[in-house]
Amino acid sequence: MKIYPYKRLNRPITLRVTSVSLKLSDGTRDQLETTAYSTQQQAVALGIAGHTDWVSATIGLSATLPPGANAPDAAWSDLCVLAVLTDGETNVRTSAELTRDAPDGRDWSGSVELLRDDHMGRASLAVYAVGTVDGVRGRSIAETDRSWLVDTASDEPVRGLQLDVQTASFKRSSREWLQAYADAPWIVDVSARVPTVFVNTDVEGVMGLLDSNGSGVESKVRDLLIAQMATDVWTAVFHGAIGDLEVEPGAGPVFPTDWQGEVLREMLPDVVPGVHVEEALRQVHRRRTGDSGWVELQTRIHYAAVRRADATKALAYVIRSLEQMNRESET
Amino acid sequence: MITQPSHVPERLGLLATSAVDPFLTEELLKGEQVHGGIDLAKVVEPLPEDDSRWWVEPIRSLVEDAMFEFREDRTRADAWLAPRLHATLRLTRREAADKRLWNHIALAVAPDYVAWRHLSEPTVNRPERRIVAERFRGPADRQCFSRLWWAAELFRNGPDYGPVADACGNQDLVHTVLRMDVIDHRPTAQALVRLLRSGLVTTGREINGLCVAISTAGATLTYDVLAPDEPRDPAALRDWIAEAESAPPVERYELPNGPDEDPVPEESVAALTGYFTELFETAPVRGRKSGD
Repeated sequence: MKIYPYKRLNRPITLRVTSVSLKLSDGTRDQLETTAYSTQQQAVALGIAGHTDWVSATIGLSATLPPGANAPDAAWSDLCVLAVLTDGETNVRTSAELTRDAPDGRDWSGSVELLRDDHMGRASLAVYAVGTVDGVRGRSIAETDRSWLVDTASDEPVRGLQLDVQTASFKRSSREWLQAYADAPWIVDVSARVPTVFVNTDVEGVMGLLDSNGSGVESKVRDLLIAQMATDVWTAVFHGAIGDLEVEPGAGPVFPTDWQGEVLREMLPDVVPGVHVEEALRQVHRRRTGDSGWVELQTRIHYAAVRRADATKALAYVIRSLEQMNRESET
Repeated sequence: MITQPSHVPERLGLLATSAVDPFLTEELLKGEQVHGGIDLAKVVEPLPEDDSRWWVEPIRSLVEDAMFEFREDRTRADAWLAPRLHATLRLTRREAADKRLWNHIALAVAPDYVAWRHLSEPTVNRPERRIVAERFRGPADRQCFSRLWWAAELFRNGPDYGPVADACGNQDLVHTVLRMDVIDHRPTAQALVRLLRSGLVTTGREINGLCVAISTAGATLTYDVLAPDEPRDPAALRDWIAEAESAPPVERYELPNGPDEDPVPEESVAALTGYFTELFETAPVRGRKSGD
């Protein structure tokens, strides 16, 4: 919980995306369907129409300030509302002023422009209400509590951890570095932009198993296998993200702004329960870089990963299927 | 000290971070021996052939000039190389965010430069000279070449690389500031350079104190309101990139020109410079007595 040395609004701003259009390289515009964004997920997927040649995207926004913003006795004046688009991977920060819909209303609207050349993966979008308080200009008096995510490539507006699954013969792949792992069934690469699982097709039958569907025991084994892979991925991305933290002078470690930040925010409550995520991040960073406590934390990290991978459920279903199979063979 | 690999590729490519480790040998990190280049070439993914930006020769020739010119004082190479690397490569931020490109330059094209620039000096505690691995493959603000490119990108004022040379001339500034989010706001970057030029902040402690103060104040203040920036025109950068085909090698003595984007609004830089000066004068700085 941050403490502010001046009066603010207690509640967050709510932000909705109301339209998305792409400007293509031939100068035309394509207004995307409403399925390009999801209010529930707070996510926008710019890849939904399959364009590869777009230059910029215009995202229409509507923001509602919390009650009290226009109160006659409010501590602020010169109220303005800004939409800010940031991308930690490309160090982009662009802001656009929104305009008030009605003179006394709390709804503000406008749009932000996102340039394709400026982003590789995901950008985040937040709204700030800013005013002059006690004679100080530019004070932030309220903001959105959760940013929207704008994915420049995805064709589905979801926030979760994106995974890339690739299949390859480790022995014969053109990615020669995979040869070093020829006897592993899969490996996880979190150094790529999006965490990637490479499945080794040299393990005979593995593709058949992974593609299996239906209700037989095979599909249950497949789910268990996927849960195992997912556990590996969550563990690896957590370590990757913690090992790569930026530390602001005087302020301690900061959350990465890309998917690594999402992963940390999701897992930290299980790794260090009972404290705010910012504090959890500080504790984990201290333990990793300090003299003690890192080894002890491994069990909790593993626990957070296993939970996310639904491993218990997958295991229970396999056991149930095996029991059924045994029973059938006995009768 | 190592030399370039016996096989240097003709074209830049993409080298996945997970493929880097076999080449980051102990001998390389000690600056004693480099890989031959042939095996590394096998794990590189090629970039499109019709793009003249991916020729290696201009990069090779830049780093060789830097190593010759600054052989007496290698840290000064940053201020010279950052704008010239930026003006030679002509990347979008989207392209520059791909760490595989920087891995390739550091490992395949110019590992000798990485060693020349970043091999540590022997000290009493660490007598063995060594290159930190993240100079080859690491975070954008630490890797040998990407840190220079991003410094140039974040500190240039439209086409003017002057502020880049000043910012990179101060190791503390680049080291501290590149990892801070506030630097993504162009007027903030220009105001910092103004303070450096005016001599108000110079030492590491002063820069650190100022940056902490800017970050702390930034938690409650919105610099975008105090110092608005103009939206960027994507066409200027695209034109500049398209001109790479016919562009001559970058100037060695004069500063080159960057993409023809609008400079940061002067009123915004002036407003923030004034504000940061006030902040700095009241900020706690280690080693400075109050009332100095």
